[in-house]
Amino acid sequence: MNETIAKGHFSEEQIDKDLLKNVNWGGKFKLWMGFLTVSLIICLYYYYQQLQNGLGVTGLHDYVSWGIYISNFVFFVATSLIGMLVSSVLGMMKVEWVRPVARIAELVALAFAMVAGLIIITDMGRPDRLLNVFIHGRVQSPIVWDIAVVVTYVVISGLLLYIPMLPDIALCRDKLNNVPKWQQKMYKSLSLGWNNTAKQFRLMNRYTRMLLILIIPIALSIHTVTSWLFAMTLRSGWDSPIFGPYFVSGAFVAGCAAVIIAMFFFRNNYKLKEYITADHFDRMGKLLVLVALVYVYFNINEIIVPGYKANTADAKHVHEMLYGHDSVMFWLVQLGGLVIPFLLILFKPMRKPLPLTIIAVVILAGAWFKRVLIVVPTQLAPYYPIQNVPEGWTGYSPTTPEVAITVASFILVVMIITVLAKLFPVVPIWEVKEDMNHKNNK
Amino acid sequence: MKNNKGYHIIILFCLCFLAVANVNAQSDWQVPAEENEKLSPFLFDDDMVLEGRVAYENLCTSCHGTPGQDDFTPMSPPPGDPAGEQFQVQSDGSMFYKIKMGRGTMPKFEDAFEDDELWNIVAYIRSFNEDYKQELPNMEGVVIPEYAMSLSFDENVDKLVVKVFAEELPQPEVSVSAYVMGTFGKHLLGKAQTNELGIAYVDVDPTLPGDEEGKVNVMVKATKEFARAKIEKHMVMAKPTERHSAIEGRHIWSTDRMAPIWLKITFFVSVFGVWFALLFIVFGLRNIKKAREEA
Repeated sequence: MNETIAKGHFSEEQIDKDLLKNVNWGGKFKLWMGFLTVSLIICLYYYYQQLQNGLGVTGLHDYVSWGIYISNFVFFVATSLIGMLVSSVLGMMKVEWVRPVARIAELVALAFAMVAGLIIITDMGRPDRLLNVFIHGRVQSPIVWDIAVVVTYVVISGLLLYIPMLPDIALCRDKLNNVPKWQQKMYKSLSLGWNNTAKQFRLMNRYTRMLLILIIPIALSIHTVTSWLFAMTLRSGWDSPIFGPYFVSGAFVAGCAAVIIAMFFFRNNYKLKEYITADHFDRMGKLLVLVALVYVYFNINEIIVPGYKANTADAKHVHEMLYGHDSVMFWLVQLGGLVIPFLLILFKPMRKPLPLTIIAVVILAGAWFKRVLIVVPTQLAPYYPIQNVPEGWTGYSPTTPEVAITVASFILVVMIITVLAKLFPVVPIWEVKEDMNHKNNK
Repeated sequence: MKNNKGYHIIILFCLCFLAVANVNAQSDWQVPAEENEKLSPFLFDDDMVLEGRVAYENLCTSCHGTPGQDDFTPMSPPPGDPAGEQFQVQSDGSMFYKIKMGRGTMPKFEDAFEDDELWNIVAYIRSFNEDYKQELPNMEGVVIPEYAMSLSFDENVDKLVVKVFAEELPQPEVSVSAYVMGTFGKHLLGKAQTNELGIAYVDVDPTLPGDEEGKVNVMVKATKEFARAKIEKHMVMAKPTERHSAIEGRHIWSTDRMAPIWLKITFFVSVFGVWFALLFIVFGLRNIKKAREEA
């Protein structure tokens, strides 16, 4: 028996009221957006500096040419994969409880995927040359594949957010009379004259189903291709045939954590305790345990196979991780950011909303630093010794502009989610109603 | 602690002894008187110095360092700098003998170089001594024949045929050495002596790689006593090399235009296939609009 949705028997009017009341531009929203905007402008000043002076303002150099920008890009792509897992895989398996949180997962996916593309541009000293990738790109290059799949994934995620939302947009059009005129016009044109006819539902379900199927290979390839950016090179630590599934499994961990955080935020701020219930957190916690286990399994493979060998470059790389130069960060990330959290979530009290959210924040932070560990140390151990170069080139530490620009990318994600969650209901109203009718008729 | 000090003194003593012994060893290298007085039959000209330099850099630098730089390898006994006084006070014959015969860690180059090549090295070493005046042998009454050579290749037996003449008369018992010239050095094909018809045969390996037409640049030297001659000729006698560009054909590492077909098909079919489906859905949204008037 499904306990997760609307435990109390609400009337349809009540549901409409509860879920639509957040579609407004309240004072709290304006304050929050103001704060985000000011922070973003401060961060963008540093990007202006980078545009003017080039990548010299960053800590990047000849050896570490991929620093936290690229780590951050990998992290963003990873986090965006959760949309596929929740709405497509679980949705098509008719896992009922995900329906109220599917839109949140889709919001997270779209926002992270949109900004991931922008992060690539921040890693370019001459962003005006981006066009060259399209003009002179080689079809053999994983970078060209990456751009193709990232763009495609953003479009699919957008459509997958939009099409199942049509009935709710129509509801906004019909019920929200006190919103600004432009917003009413927007609902009118976006709702495509939605009239709740059976044929419209049929078409919507058909297109949604097509998208749900399409998004599985695209989402898998977006992160597999991202891993190939590394794995296709002959470098110790990157040159690994399991990098694709290793990245994808890690992506679900980061994505689950991000969705849990977003769920907690919406549940408390939008007063949706009746719709996003403690049971949802419990189940998301179990899902997180499952994906974390898979990721731990891949981590063990990724470490023990090269590390077992005596004196190869890959073994040295692993030994640097285990007890060498990068060991502090490595163990913090692996134990603190993955193993201990997932062991904790095994206990039911830890899957309650607040503890689970705190654990999710730790996991998400661990996931971010994990990407740094994948990207940076390999570049500091080239096959040729680092010699006759400035002293600073034997290491890498990000500079203030680099950190600020990275923070800007997070601010952008939060802004996108905030605006979208204020324009549209975050919980699918028609699905909640459908679910209730379904139950009442039983 | 005290014991340690004792060891140090013993080690120091041994080292001193070794150093002295080495200096002695160096000065003790006696060259037979006859060899010591031997003189180069060739005038040390720029050509010889240049050839000597190439040989020196290939085979001598690793121990003796660059002449005049005192950067020889620290060994026991020390190899020394050939531009230094210890070397330059020696006679040409002594240097020639020591390079040719070797001793201890100094290898013997008798088999590696012909006599004229050894003299090249001596000429190179002497070029660092400004005060040096070459002593030439007394050539009075000696007639040095001027050799002319002709080269041909007998493809039936894979042999290089060298004919040596002097004033149109065939020259017997002339030492002939044949080389293939490369960009960075020369490859010895073989050595032979001319017969009574003035002809010497040198084996040619049929798998020797030549240029696209099978041409190689052959250099032949002929020496007998004071006479010597040299000839260089491009000859078709090796295996033609078929040159391929590294990016010829369709490869992962080629230009975009030459990308592998399977990759192009996979990439474009996937991308266009997915976008076709997406466009189908986007245009299909109009159907949703049309369906609003359903009865």
